[in-house]
This record gives sequence, C-alpha cells and structure tokens, in this order.
Amino acid sequence: MAEKDQSYVVEMLNITKVFPGIVANDNITLQLRRGEIHALLGENGAGKSTLMSVLFGLYQPEEGEIRMDGKRVEIRDPNDANALHIGMVHQHFKLVECFTVLDNIILGVEPNKLGFLQKKEARKRVLELSERYALKVDPDALVEDITVGMQQRTEILKMLYRDNEILIFDEPTAVLTPQEIHELMQIMKNLAAEGKSILFITHKLNEIMEVSDRCSVLRKGRYIGTVDIADTSKEELSRMMVGRDVKFAVDKSPAQPGETVLQIQGLTVPSKAHHNNAVKNVSFSVRRGEIVCLAGIDGNGQSEFVHALTGLEKASAGKILLCGQDVTHSTIRQRGRAGMGHIPEDRHKHGLVLDFPLEDNLVLQRYMEPPFQKGGFIQREPIRAYARELIEKFDIRSGQGPVTKARSMSGGNQQKAIIAREIDLNRELLIAVQPTRGLDVGAIEYIHSQIVRQRDLGKAVLLVSLELDEVMNLSDRILVMYEGEIVGELDPKETTVEELGLYMAGAKRSRKEGAAS
Amino acid sequence: MKKQRTLWNDGSKTVAASLLSILMGVIFGGILLVLVALFLKMPLASAWEGFRIVLAGIFNTGRNYDAGSVLTFGFNPRLMGDMLFRSTPLIMTGLSVALAYKTGLFNIGAPGQYLMGTAASIMVALAIDTSVVPAALVWLLAFLAAVAAGALWGCIPGLFKAYLNVNEVITSIMTNWIAANLVTLAFDGSPFINLVDYGKTGFTLKTSTNGVATAKLGMDALFGGSSANAGFLVALVLAIVSYVVISKTTFGYELRCCGSSKSAAKYAGMNEKRSIVLSMAIAGGLAAAGAALYYLQGDVEFSWHTSMSLPATGFNGIPVALLASCNPIGCVFSGMFMAYLNISGNQLSTFTAYNEYIADVIVAVIVYLSAFTLFFKGLMDGRRKAAPIHHQPGAAPPPAEPAREEEKQS
Repeated sequence: MAEKDQSYVVEMLNITKVFPGIVANDNITLQLRRGEIHALLGENGAGKSTLMSVLFGLYQPEEGEIRMDGKRVEIRDPNDANALHIGMVHQHFKLVECFTVLDNIILGVEPNKLGFLQKKEARKRVLELSERYALKVDPDALVEDITVGMQQRTEILKMLYRDNEILIFDEPTAVLTPQEIHELMQIMKNLAAEGKSILFITHKLNEIMEVSDRCSVLRKGRYIGTVDIADTSKEELSRMMVGRDVKFAVDKSPAQPGETVLQIQGLTVPSKAHHNNAVKNVSFSVRRGEIVCLAGIDGNGQSEFVHALTGLEKASAGKILLCGQDVTHSTIRQRGRAGMGHIPEDRHKHGLVLDFPLEDNLVLQRYMEPPFQKGGFIQREPIRAYARELIEKFDIRSGQGPVTKARSMSGGNQQKAIIAREIDLNRELLIAVQPTRGLDVGAIEYIHSQIVRQRDLGKAVLLVSLELDEVMNLSDRILVMYEGEIVGELDPKETTVEELGLYMAGAKRSRKEGAAS
Repeated sequence: MKKQRTLWNDGSKTVAASLLSILMGVIFGGILLVLVALFLKMPLASAWEGFRIVLAGIFNTGRNYDAGSVLTFGFNPRLMGDMLFRSTPLIMTGLSVALAYKTGLFNIGAPGQYLMGTAASIMVALAIDTSVVPAALVWLLAFLAAVAAGALWGCIPGLFKAYLNVNEVITSIMTNWIAANLVTLAFDGSPFINLVDYGKTGFTLKTSTNGVATAKLGMDALFGGSSANAGFLVALVLAIVSYVVISKTTFGYELRCCGSSKSAAKYAGMNEKRSIVLSMAIAGGLAAAGAALYYLQGDVEFSWHTSMSLPATGFNGIPVALLASCNPIGCVFSGMFMAYLNISGNQLSTFTAYNEYIADVIVAVIVYLSAFTLFFKGLMDGRRKAAPIHHQPGAAPPPAEPAREEEKQS
C-alpha cells in the first residue's frame, strides 16, 4: 500500500469535520493521482464544499490528515494552500470587473521592482501560458466586457500563473453555453495531459462521464466510494449519489394544448444596466396543458422579461393578457388573483423571507385570506395546520417542521417549499424560473414531475431555464431568447442540443422579431 | 420538546446579552468612581458609597446624620414615582425606534418627532380656554395633536425612503434640525412663552396654568410627592398594543415582512412602499405621544429655545430599543432602567461628592455596549456564528429522516 501511495499527489485521509449539530464530513478519504481528472460528486449538502474548504485551509478538520506526495502537510489558511500549489476556480468568479484580464491574473502576486509594477514580464508569461494551454484571452480587455467563458479562462490562467499543480474546479459549467462547456472539457483534458491534477466538483453526470478518469462520491457527509469512470455508468453514479435509482428522462405524455392562457404582445422592457432595451418587442402565447420553455444563456433578457411579466418591474411597451384580462398595468397581487403563480429565479431574494419560519413563508400571498386571517389578526392555528398539510404533501424536510427558520433549510427544501406554495395557490399560469438551479438530481426529478403534473391538470406552464437538459426534457415548445429577442421557436422532439446551442449563442435565428406565435 | 427548548434559549440569550451590557456598564462605572476618588484624594469609602447609590439609587432615602451620616436605603415612593414618570417618554421613543426597526428602518428621527409632539401638545393645551372646553377634553386634543404632528414628521423621511429611495437616516437627521428650528420659530414671539415669570424667558408656561394635567389615577397616592401619573399606564398599554400589532396582526406581518426582505414582500404582492411610510408615521406618532405624556403632566416646563439642541429623550430611544432587542414589551423595562440610572445620578450629586455625570457615563457605556447585544448573543451561540459561512445552503442540518443504512455500502 505504501508504495502505491507514492502515485498520489494529494491525499485527504479519514477527514472528519464537525459543525454544531451536524457532521459535515464523516471519515472521508479522497486520493488524487498526478495528472488525473478526479470528479467529486454529491448532492447539495453532501459535504463537497466542506471537504474542499478543508483542502483549501478554510476549515480545520477534527480528525484526519492531508498528505501531499506522501508527506503530511498542515494547511491552516488559503495562503498555505497557495504555497502548496493548490488553486481553485470558484463557481462564482472572483474577478475585479473593472480591471483588465492581465491585472486580474497578476492580482496579489504583482511582479515589481522597488514597488513599481513590471507588467511586461507578466504579459509575456500570461501569453505563453495562454498559448501553451490553448486558453484564448485578450489580456487588455476589461473583465466586465468579456464573455463568461473568457472570464473562466482568466480564472484558470490565474491558477496557472501561480504555478498551481492541483486545480479545483467548483461547478465550472453552471454558467456556460454548450459550446463553451465543450471547450472547457477540452481545456481540462489538456491541463491533465500537461501533468496538472484536477479536482472537478459537479453534479452533472454527463460531464463526469465525458472528462473524468475517476470519481469519488459523497452522500450526507459520508464517503460512498471511488470508481473508475471506464467501469461505471451514469445510472450507477446517480445511485451512489442519491442512494436510489433516479430517472433521467422526464415521464410525460404528449401535450394536449387547450385555450390560450397567457398572451404577450410586443413586450419591451428597458434595461437597468445600459440604455438599450433588455427585452425587445417580444410576443408569444402559452396555452393550457403545455409547457413552454424560454431558453437562453443567462443575461439575455430573461430575468427582465419575467420581472415585467410578473409585475416586479414596469414594461415600457406591449401588452400582457392573462385569461383574457389585460394585466399589463396591474399590481403583483392583482396579477396573482387573475391567475398567475410565480416560482422566482432568486429564491433567497424574492421567494422566501429567510428569517421567517417556514409556515409564514407558506402563506406569503395568502396571509390576509380567511381562515388565516380573522378581524385583522393572524390565525396561528390554521396557518400551522396548512403548513403541516403542505409539508406532508410535498415532502418538505426541515429540522423543526412549520416553525423552522427558512434560512436554516437546505436549498432543495427551500425550493420545495416555494413550489408547494405556488402550486397550492392553484393558479391558471405557473411561471417557473430556473426551478432546479443548484439542486441535485433527486430534487430535480421531483420538481420536474410536479411541473408536468401541473401541465396535465390543465395549467399553462412557462418555464425559464438555462439548463439544456431541462429545456430538452421538460418542454413541449422551446422559445430561444437572445439579446432580448425571441430568435427561434423549436420543437424539442425535432431539434438537437447542438442546434439549440447555436440559437442560444445567436449564431442562428429563424423567427422575425415581433412575429406572433 | 426540542423546539420549546431552543425557543426559550433564544429568548433568554437575548435577555442575558442585554444584562451583560448593563453589568459591564455598571462595572465600568464602579471603576470610574474609584478613579475619581483616587484623583480627588477622597477616601475609598466614598467610592463605595457612590457605587451603592449607582446600584440602588431609587431606594436611597438620604443620609442618617445622627448615625454618622451613613446612607440609608428603603422604599422611597417619591423616587419610585419619578422613575415611572421619567421612564414614560423613554419607553415611547424606545417603542418608536423598535417598531421602525422591525420594518427595517432606523428611526434616528425620534428627537425631531418628539419635539414636534412637544410643541403641538403644549400649544393645544394652552390655546384652548379650559373655562369653555373641559380640561380632560383639552388634554385629549393636545395628546392627539401631538401624535398627529409626530406622525406627519415621521412620514416625511418615510416618503423619501419609499418613493425616492433616499436613506431614512439622512432625511431623519435633516428633519430633526428642521423641527428644532421650526419649534423655536413657532414659540418665539408666540403667546405661549412664559409671560408670568420674566426671569425665565426661554421657557413656556406649564400646561397646568391652563388647568391641563394628566390624571393621577391614584399614582400620587402610591408614590407620594412624585410626578407619577396615569401617563405611565398609557405607555404600558401602548407597548402592549404595539407588541400585539407587530406580532399578531396581518398588518404587523406585512411590516415585518418588509423589514426582513423588501424584495420578498414585493414579490408577495404587498405594498412595500406603503408599509415604509406607515411604519415611519407610526414611529413618529409614538415618539410624539411620549412628548405629550411628559409635558402634559402639567408642571413640566419646556425650554422652547431648542434650535441649538435636540431633546436627548429622542436619541435615548435608540439605546432603549437596542437594549430591549426591539421587543415592545422589553422597551418598558429598558425605558424604566434608563430612568432608574437617571434618578441614581441625581441622588449621586445630592448625597455624595460625585456629580450626576457619572451616571451619564454609565448610561453612555451601556448604550455603547447595547449595540453589541447581538454580538454577545452570537458569542453565547458558540462557534456556529464564529465559523466561516458555508458555501452551500445545503450544509444546514440534514433533513430529519432515518438514515437508510442498507445503502451505505454501494
């Protein structure tokens, strides 16, 4: 055994990390070979982030040790990690927006002579690295002006510039287009071929299958096992991760669209960031019994569109008809009463009052309706009974039931609470914006089945999603949004992920703006 | 069972944290007394006397000069009653700050609202002839006028905040000084200044000169010789009403929702702008009601030349609210405590070589530390607060479900 250990560049042996009330990591062992791409798979709250924080020196484990090249090391803070050549690309990039790519790369390790910056050498090295690993960047462009993909390459260059040998990628594909994901996979392979060792944190099984050599699986803080990707399948990985069989394809019958519920005509929404309109003259309709999906890369006007549709922001032109009623200038509550349910994009900002107990969150739009209100007073008992009913019906898990603070619940259960609330409002139109963002396969499966159920009950569903799998699996009709316009209408049964990607990237368009659907 | 315990723990931790601030303030005061004694070369025994008065000021009954002039302690109805009376406006301004805070607003405008309430109540109480209108009715009108004036004054920063997104702290500070100058202007040359006692030109008439005074309701019998009256009971009732409104009504639910998350309140279809304006108006009304309850006592003179200063009672609402963790019922106790220290300070200057400013320093330290109440609470919560924040919300305690053991291997 001792001899075989020599081939491991990093070993985290029997790591246990305890937080009050929870064992985040329970005797976890992770061994990374030199030059391999090692995936770390687990549901939300499985302990992946805690484990990586231990490796990065943000937490000290109660038990266990970390070895590098077989020698025991102490990592007390991120500086120690850096000195040991461990680098990390965070899910949300840590870049200074108003600095250039080059400035960001050298930030913190600026080459200087007597305190004067020596950018020339730095530029030379960055260009060398960029060429060697095929990481195309423009060193003089401001970060705020470049694409998300280039921002990510900047982050990778940051690690390479610091001579990091162990590269941690934390959910790197969440923000990328299919084409960019493909490029990233290629980059990761190149890096591994050059002898870098990569830890790849994700819960997207396709990516693991494509790029990884081995995969370690965590579940509820425990180590489940490490498998060679060559000998395993997606199904096996998901079973290890969730602890049961998971269906990937959404079970649904063909749509049987009925009457029109939502009709949007020429909706235009001004942008807060620039002078242009964020949403330009968008028209389409959603009918009963169908799931229409608004697909697109993040930041192409989807958020603004949904905000205008739900009343969070004002539209500058256009018309919204809901069940035949003009709600263009209605308040949010009036829209709700007219039949609009909304699962918001940002569950922490809009969806929940995090410091309120779960039960108060479950009646967020109905607290003033009887039996929850009588004579102006909140009726605690009916609210609690109702909360218990929803908790039971939608399997919302929380530490203390109805009185659990929403903040202390896991992301998946917070989302379940929102979905329970919106579905139980029983409204004609359900707007679901990225309903499964950041959730694991088990929760995604559940939420998808609930959305399909709403469709089958004759509701109209408008889904806004950035996840291609979700778009392809769940929708009956796809509308692609690019730079505030609908550039294509696709049938998920007839299109491919690649074609969809081309529309999303703006390389293809088939629909004239403003054309009625 | 488990739920009950954690709830109790949270509440008691809050109280313990406030008590800790108070304890540290008192210890600091004690050290200060010793230092002053050392510097002025007074015997340390006098520091001990001072400390005893700081601790039990309202139970001080003076000195027994026959028995070697030792301090005597016992039930002192006059001081007890004065404490209740002086606590009344503090409780009200505390409620004002606490209620605004529940809606996510920091009402530093309480001094201005208090001042507007003062002016309105005194003017109405003195302007209506009590030989025509019954004094009790005049009292009520004066009280309502004060509440209206304060609500209006609170409204202004609320409107700016809601519709123009101007920070309420900035506008409140501005409206405070506008109020100070406005009130000075209104009294200067008005018939309400003191024409009886020419030695005190900067003072208004007492409202009792027009026969307007808060009913005693037996408080004078309980606390002989003091200024105690039914005003304290009014404050008590208003505190309970505030508590019920905030925590039991749909209106309170909306206010708390806006305070906790404005975007979520908006998403849920609440009118968050209206909530902000209303919350500030109520806060202003409460502060002004405190002023009315204080000045309508009848024998309190108002120094109308205020353009150079703002009433401390208004600012003291902030520590009262903080010390009570913004709980309306807690404000009653913290307001009484502040009045208690105030009276102790008076006793200190009357019966020892120290002056009352020692008590002010103690108050200042407590005020300073009360801002740390949450921090102390965090310390008591243990390492959970001290640990870095998790990246994933999912790292919260795992859902309560039996671990399925058979799946452990795989």
